[in-house]
Amino acid sequence: QATEFSSKIEMPDYVAKYTALVSTDQRQSYKDDFNAEYDEYRLLHARVENITRRFTQLDTQCRKLVPGTKEYQKVQEEVLKEYKKVKQHSPNYHEEKLRCEYLHNKLAHIKRLIADFDQRRAQAWC
Amino acid sequence: PVEGSGDANCVDEILKEMTQSWPPPLTAIHTPCKTEPSKFPFPTKVKRGSSSKS
Repeated sequence: QATEFSSKIEMPDYVAKYTALVSTDQRQSYKDDFNAEYDEYRLLHARVENITRRFTQLDTQCRKLVPGTKEYQKVQEEVLKEYKKVKQHSPNYHEEKLRCEYLHNKLAHIKRLIADFDQRRAQAWC
Repeated sequence: PVEGSGDANCVDEILKEMTQSWPPPLTAIHTPCKTEPSKFPFPTKVKRGSSSKS
């Protein structure tokens, strides 16, 4: 697993696997691949989004308060509590987030290829 | 990943880590692709008067 990582940064595997589309059959197969991972992606995305939103709220609250005050202290404790909760409920949160980022880029890549193909085809018919 | 107990430094680190901007989700691929060009949503130009003559 560790050996995969360094090469992924250079050039993601999906860039070599998914190249410009040439046929409608290929379009279907790209779309199938997209859909096969889309549910997992949306699930991970929603999870990260919720957690990010929660911490952003706390961050905003923190910035409005004066350090040293009771209210400030309370929000700080809330941050720690929430963080502990994340660690408890999703011990692999960091990996899940990375996985989601990878899927995001991969699915966006596939989607772009399909959109390019559709556009070229639409132009050909005009 | 942030370890350790509740000092202010630690909270700062947590907030920094957990509030990184997150892009909105990708939407699904629509347009169930059938091969007929007529399915395209925009109207094609109607040829003037060539087919309606009898």
